[in-house]
Amino acid sequence: MKNEGNMITNWLDQYGNPEIERFVDKNLAITEKVRLALEQKGWKALDLAKAMDKSPSEVSKWLTGMHNLTLKSITKMEIALGIDLINVEPVKEIQYVYLGTIKGGDLQEAINGYEETIYGMAI
Amino acid sequence: MNNFAEIILVQRFKKVSYYSVSINEENSLFREFVAKHTDTNREKLNHIMAWIKVIGEKFGAKENYFRNESETADTRALPPKGKDREPVYVETDDTGIEQNVPNNLRLYCMRISKNVVFLFSGDIKTTDKAQDCENVRPHFRMANHLTSLIDKALIDKEIKWNKNCTDIIVEGDFCLMW
Repeated sequence: MKNEGNMITNWLDQYGNPEIERFVDKNLAITEKVRLALEQKGWKALDLAKAMDKSPSEVSKWLTGMHNLTLKSITKMEIALGIDLINVEPVKEIQYVYLGTIKGGDLQEAINGYEETIYGMAI
Repeated sequence: MNNFAEIILVQRFKKVSYYSVSINEENSLFREFVAKHTDTNREKLNHIMAWIKVIGEKFGAKENYFRNESETADTRALPPKGKDREPVYVETDDTGIEQNVPNNLRLYCMRISKNVVFLFSGDIKTTDKAQDCENVRPHFRMANHLTSLIDKALIDKEIKWNKNCTDIIVEGDFCLMW
């Protein structure tokens, strides 16, 4: 069988806007998570609409995977479903770690006399 | 029989294998579609291409990822559609603001299973019904025709399934004829 040789990824590499691909990827991931949560709860999109006091057509639009979901609509769905749709990593603060000391005075002597400490490890 | 169509593998992803057809030794329908819309409708095409890739890699060709475009056979199209409304996608307008607007570029397809999809051709749809639109009508009709030919070839086992029914097997010289 003849083949087109990875035509889809080649096109995306050459002409595609990475922002669009990322948008589709994230959007589908969120809507799939919502669909799964609906399945687990035995809900239809209509039940989700009721729980959020939204019209069924609005919710159905959100779940296409191509709609530009707002953070507000994502949050509404999270509350109605009781799940996290987006997991935000906590910001890691800088930790200062004391590693050891070199005595003052002659540098070479200080290096030779250096004693390693085990105060902690960098994380 | 005056026409024949050869089956062409477009690309295999982890979850979906995409195929197209080349009619009477021309370029594949999908290649022609992509070539035509790369310059004129790149952003709309980009959304469809990204969609094809993402579902191919991660989710499989689920039924709700396609819109129903059956007339004489079980044809589908991209982008997907919810009940009674146009599909939306995000487009940047002239002022640089992103808006949810309908994507009226249609790519007609045949979704055989969650793992196998044929990509045919399409165009910009300008009317509610595909039958009424000069642009898409020939693509819509051809896609329905090809869908019924492929369906028959599957029933007659001219196109076979692999052991796990995750992909099709097409003999080297097989062609759809009409």
